[in-house]
Amino acid sequence: MPKTVYLGMSGGVDSSVSAILLKEQGFKVVGVYMKNWSKDLPGMKCPWAEDLADAKRVAVKLGLDFEVFDFEKAYKEKVVDYMLKEFKAGRTPNPDIMCNEEIKFKLFFDECLKHGADFIATGHYAKSENGKLKLAKDDNKDQTYFLYRITKAAVEKTIFPLADLRKPEVKELAKKHGLANAYKKESMGVCFVGDVGMKDFLREYINIKPGEIRELETDQVLGYHDGAVFYTIGQRHGLYVGGGLPYYVAKKDLDKNIVYVSKNLNAKDLWTKTIKLENLFFRDKNDLPKDGKIAVRLRHRAPLIPATLEGNTLSFDEEIKTIAPGQSIVFYVGDICIGGGIVI
Amino acid sequence: MIYLDHAAATPVSEKVLKAMTPFMTENFFNPSSPYLPAVRVRAAYEEAKNQIANFIGAKGNDIVITSGATEANALAFTAISCSEANLLERGANLRKNNGSTPVKSPQILVLETEHASVLENAKNYDYDTIKVDHTGLIDLTDLKQKITAETELISVSLANNELGTIQPLAEIAQIIREERLRRLKKGITTPLLLHSDASQGLALMEINVSRLGVDLLTLNAAKVSGPKGIGALFVAHGVRLKPYINGGGQERGLRAGTENVAGAVGFAKALSLIKGHQSAARKKYMRLVENLKSELKNAKVEPIFLGSSKHQLANFCPVSFPGLDAERLIFMLEEKEVYLSTGAACSASKGEPSHVLKAIGLNDAEIKGSLRISLGTLNNEENIRKAGKIIRRAVDREFERTSHA
Repeated sequence: MPKTVYLGMSGGVDSSVSAILLKEQGFKVVGVYMKNWSKDLPGMKCPWAEDLADAKRVAVKLGLDFEVFDFEKAYKEKVVDYMLKEFKAGRTPNPDIMCNEEIKFKLFFDECLKHGADFIATGHYAKSENGKLKLAKDDNKDQTYFLYRITKAAVEKTIFPLADLRKPEVKELAKKHGLANAYKKESMGVCFVGDVGMKDFLREYINIKPGEIRELETDQVLGYHDGAVFYTIGQRHGLYVGGGLPYYVAKKDLDKNIVYVSKNLNAKDLWTKTIKLENLFFRDKNDLPKDGKIAVRLRHRAPLIPATLEGNTLSFDEEIKTIAPGQSIVFYVGDICIGGGIVI
Repeated sequence: MIYLDHAAATPVSEKVLKAMTPFMTENFFNPSSPYLPAVRVRAAYEEAKNQIANFIGAKGNDIVITSGATEANALAFTAISCSEANLLERGANLRKNNGSTPVKSPQILVLETEHASVLENAKNYDYDTIKVDHTGLIDLTDLKQKITAETELISVSLANNELGTIQPLAEIAQIIREERLRRLKKGITTPLLLHSDASQGLALMEINVSRLGVDLLTLNAAKVSGPKGIGALFVAHGVRLKPYINGGGQERGLRAGTENVAGAVGFAKALSLIKGHQSAARKKYMRLVENLKSELKNAKVEPIFLGSSKHQLANFCPVSFPGLDAERLIFMLEEKEVYLSTGAACSASKGEPSHVLKAIGLNDAEIKGSLRISLGTLNNEENIRKAGKIIRRAVDREFERTSHA
């Protein structure tokens, strides 16, 4: 009896090629589209129906069974509400990390096992080996940053068919198998609001008030912003202040609704040698070296840099540009992604 | 390719394209300009409007050219006498008066199986829906019961876009005439109008607005081998519409904007190619649909043919294979280059089950297994025979896949 794999299919090229690979490896593959929460705003439309059709088309073409799991309610509660709460608190959350932790590798995982799956699979660029989450071969596409909070139990039963492939090879395979979506442009923007900017989305939910933009060093008013929640510490554009050297967002005072900016790349608020984290997560406590010496990734696609973890404090050999509160820092030992934490 | 979705779109015929081209190239002039070449373009436009109107037994001045059926339907709804705000207020008052009971006096009645472009307009007002029977045919008793002294507009399509069920418009018009008479006798001045969306069926029926007794009729070029982006609304004498797009006063000030001359000329040409051939076309499609049905009956899942056998557009063959997933069938057939759809293209893309199939009382398994097959100019005996075999084989394969699991 071939083993059964439930594969999350989004309609995109990565999960479509994953389906081909799993089928070739002799698994009985069941394609599943996860219907997450979406919101149609006037003039913007979430493309989920098209995505679902694309996913189903590929599944049918490959002769796979196909199902739709409805996670709308859970997604709204676990991902969207969390994200709005964080933004309201002036932080910069990462909904994709939350989606993987709460939806794909918890709800979806459990549901698949209930349906009789031996394994689950997704089209992420990552590797699962001996219960460890590891870097994908394509270091430009590696998505372990978004996956750092998934449990050991999930990793053990997850197959990442793209672990040893590079994106161009994936596209090539898609073309070879005549998948129409090999030519589809990759989706950009927030997954649950379609191609809409996050800003337009937040505007619907958060009471936005215009306020002052002040220079950090002089406290002088340089201009006005259209809502402090839209600004991320370290961000360099969109300040409407114009002229000369670029400004960077250095600080936000949400109570007074003031955004502080600085031209000085060396401004002390923009640089740090230590970062305090909360909600630390380790897949396996034993993965963390005794001396706390690890490599970290500060954002998706950023290079791995050395750091030392003591308690919840991460220290760096050299100063790094500060990371916005709410963002995740992900830990690695060699090619193993061991966990991470959220910037306070 | 075997195309079986003529209810969604039709290819512009060579002759239509040829008639249109000069009005996009050498005769590009704005029909409102004063010099002679432009005046000639104006004349061509007016002539096209005449031809379109003549096709339904009307005059050029009786129609307003629009960007398609959706806009024509929206324009038809401006015939309602009060402003929208006014109507909503009236609705609110009625609700208050009746306590918790729903509004008793809707101003708008629409058939429950109407296209979204009618239903969504109705939702802006106090509205109620008229029931259909299991073939999609209007329940005239329900209509009579729901007409009140407040009813101002009744919208019933000429033929349904998913089932092809043809509605007895002349009978509906008679009911409306009787109500108008009642109102006159009582001294009630509230007007009562009949609107019909004739997007489907234009190519296969001899339509005459006087005989049908409609006050407003929506036409669509895209379903009759004309270009997309052009339609028309017939407006009977005495019906007043509100300006819909403001600007330079074109289309009697109702729908401003430089006239789509090429579109109107193409529409007129498409209709001229149909005129007089409707009866032959009906016979041709009836035969093809019969052939198709007998092939589909050999499938391992027994098909249910939907709609009315007596009152159905000849080119429609809506069918359900209960228990199968029609969407899977569509993707399997797409690989064989056989193109058809589930419900209307618009409702299918929303992922919601068709309100039309629900209205005729299909259960979930029947709705899920429903295909809309609509024939047209691209079909002939040979490709329908082929299509029948390909569809039957896909049905059989799906049946086997699901019964193994």
